[in-house]
Amino acid sequence: MGKVVGIDLGTTNSLVAYVRDGEPRVIRDSSGDALVPSVVSLAEDGTIFVGREAQRRLLTASSRTVYSVKRFMGRGIEDVQDDAALLPFRIGGDAGGVVRIGIGDREFTPPEISAFVLRELKQRAEEHFREQGEFDFEVDRAVITVPAYFNDAQRTATRDAGRLAGLEVLRIISEPTAASLAYGLDKKNRGTIAVYDLGGGTFDISILKVEDGVFQALATSGDTHLGGDDIDRALIELVIRESAGSKNAAGSKEQDPAYPAETVQAIRKAVIQAKWDLSDHEHAEIRVEPIAGLPNGYRRAITRAEFEALIRPLVDRTLGPVRQALNDAGLEPSEIDEVVLVGGATRTPLVRQLVAELFGRMPHSDLNPDEVVALGAAVQADILVSGRREMLLLDVTPLSLGIETIGGVVSKIIMRNSTIPASGREMYTTSVDSQTSVDIHVMQGERELVADCRSLARFKLRGIPPMPAGLPRVEVRFQIDANGILSVGARELRTGIEQSIEVKPSYGLTDQEVERMLIESFEHAQADFDARLLIEARNEAETVINATEKSLRRPDFAEITGGELTKDEIGQIERALIELKQVMVGTNREVIHEKTHALNHATRHLAEVMMNRSVREALAGRNVKDI
Amino acid sequence: MTPDSIPVTPVSTLECRSCGAGAPVDEHFCPQCSRILALGRHGDYFTFFGLPRKLTIAQDDLERRFRELSRKFHPDYYYNASPAERLASLERSSYLNDAYRALRTPATRIEHLLAIEGLPPTKSEGESGAAKVPPALLEEVFALNEELDEIREQREAGGDPAAIAARLHAARAPIDHKRDEHERQIEALSARWDSQLQTASPAERRATLDALRETLLERNYINNLLATIEREAATLGSGLSALGSGPESQKPKA
Repeated sequence: MGKVVGIDLGTTNSLVAYVRDGEPRVIRDSSGDALVPSVVSLAEDGTIFVGREAQRRLLTASSRTVYSVKRFMGRGIEDVQDDAALLPFRIGGDAGGVVRIGIGDREFTPPEISAFVLRELKQRAEEHFREQGEFDFEVDRAVITVPAYFNDAQRTATRDAGRLAGLEVLRIISEPTAASLAYGLDKKNRGTIAVYDLGGGTFDISILKVEDGVFQALATSGDTHLGGDDIDRALIELVIRESAGSKNAAGSKEQDPAYPAETVQAIRKAVIQAKWDLSDHEHAEIRVEPIAGLPNGYRRAITRAEFEALIRPLVDRTLGPVRQALNDAGLEPSEIDEVVLVGGATRTPLVRQLVAELFGRMPHSDLNPDEVVALGAAVQADILVSGRREMLLLDVTPLSLGIETIGGVVSKIIMRNSTIPASGREMYTTSVDSQTSVDIHVMQGERELVADCRSLARFKLRGIPPMPAGLPRVEVRFQIDANGILSVGARELRTGIEQSIEVKPSYGLTDQEVERMLIESFEHAQADFDARLLIEARNEAETVINATEKSLRRPDFAEITGGELTKDEIGQIERALIELKQVMVGTNREVIHEKTHALNHATRHLAEVMMNRSVREALAGRNVKDI
Repeated sequence: MTPDSIPVTPVSTLECRSCGAGAPVDEHFCPQCSRILALGRHGDYFTFFGLPRKLTIAQDDLERRFRELSRKFHPDYYYNASPAERLASLERSSYLNDAYRALRTPATRIEHLLAIEGLPPTKSEGESGAAKVPPALLEEVFALNEELDEIREQREAGGDPAAIAARLHAARAPIDHKRDEHERQIEALSARWDSQLQTASPAERRATLDALRETLLERNYINNLLATIEREAATLGSGLSALGSGPESQKPKA
């Protein structure tokens, strides 16, 4: 059995952590950096970059670089039009199906992109364990966190990403509850906790009750489309508006679509820096160096007050879900004992201030808000594999689960904020004599009408024994597991026959699709590996060719080798050189290796002669460099 | 969530999927091999929690039992167990969560009691708007509907929102009064049920349950009336949602 880790798969950054000697710790790179930017870039030659390197490529290869992919997990193209407009990469997909991201001539689903990030984290952890001298350093299992307010499709997409990355996903847990676990380690106290989690792309609020080591979520709410990204976007729009205005005073105030994607990325980088600066200072400058579309660059002073006025509407949007969660938990703000801040965006002073006002107490931020979720995931992973029982996390399902009934109305089967695992049952019958199948449409959401809820999946119940209409009694059982993921089973009660169920996820991948992608990713992995080996072989060949040619072209070649190398030897060198050049353009790396070896062999005597001469000259007081 | 009807399957023993030994149906763990047992039957949440079939439950005692059972059943602790045990853990945890949700508030607790005592559910009758008016409420319902009609006319004629709000508030008062009355009745009936549990004859106990059910139906109806008033207030907008504190404090106090 390999190692187990906890992973925070974030919109902007991702982290990996593990537990050693009962203590969770994040895994850092050699420079002490724990954050892996959730950015994936595909080069023209097929090389895939992840993390910092991919982030750098945002400025040079925007259209081939994907970020904020978490916003697309488990969603359809019609959900993401607004996001797609501002992002530099191609977003497509069929209506009513999963989003597809196009880079060059390849297409990826969001779970596939996320899988690249997960693989990077897996590798980072494996390198860490290897450096620690672990014999068994392979990482094969993980707990991965998701926003509490993620629906079934989004959770499933995250689990699929884990599978594609070669990880057994032990558990999907929600980010705020994970954070509470990380905090709970030090203080094994009792009371109610509110976790306010404003991340890169999502907002979550969870209310938990802690007693006897049981972390029981009472209620959760949130917005899967609200986070630091939106703050950045507000600032980017400000810059675009103002710079377009100065460029073309009479022009429209609309965003200028003429800005190349690279320019928008340069602006994005500049505003993020200014945003960070404003967390610690009252003043900052947004500074974009001259770039295509902005030949004079752009500079603008911004005060914290201006910044806060700009983002206030966004921050205020978090208050609705907070009230909702408190209401669902049956608590007043004053009844909350502890408030915990999670997510990089909670570094913004305005956010801290609003949270403090709302709850009438200073929020906790002892743990790094970027790292606390990964730490909690590691704790949960440790609980699962070690059998430790001092802590237990009882999470809730964020959205009600229902089925479509006559007239497009949703009949709720499992209510939101039900502790998971949770189950529900519904009876079905037939409307036509001898009917043998029934269609079931599963919805998630709080609204009454199908049109206002999220379609999760369509099921077809088959194999109902032919009976007069209305006679069969088919019990359909909905089971939400501890991951918050739904499964469905059915049985005809009169005959006891188990029904087969065909699942068509509305915004997810079928198991077959995941299997296929898994196979493809192995194939790609092999292809990527082969490509790298070929490049290495060519590089090696080139080094040998260059060195040989350099010697052969020396004006004093004849003088140096005179009498020491036979004509035959020189002829062999020249033949080996030509042969290697011929095979080098091919793709057979074995042959390249072979011919490189042959050239090396043929030049061995020449190399000795050159070396001896150098030594002699050096001994004669001449500088080696002059040779 | 309260299931509409709970089939109480009379099973006396069940077989442990792990060791094959027989176990009493309401046991959680096999007396032979001490492994977690598949759920023997659906039905009685009181027994599942090891509680008598009483309507008065100490909240903190229920919570403590819930945490203890969660620690015994939760899938987290069965990750390395056999498939049979993992399934049993999932079933038992789900069932525990359902049971806890049903028992922690008085209203759903009574619903559950009625169901396991074999009475028809009150939900479907009480919730649909077409439900017939309980005779005991005829007078109030008649007066309220008349008043609501007039208020709607006044609103459509562009009447002063503040005046309309005041009228709505006034119309609500007798209904609120009725609700409080019913809450007290339900409490009294619940106490009576608890005291009868050991001593009374089946007929006496049945009479208490029938009365409980009747009161619950009326109370559901009252809640619908209050919801109607709320909706009317909502059309006026402007922070009038503070008209009342909601149909009842069904929310669990943590």
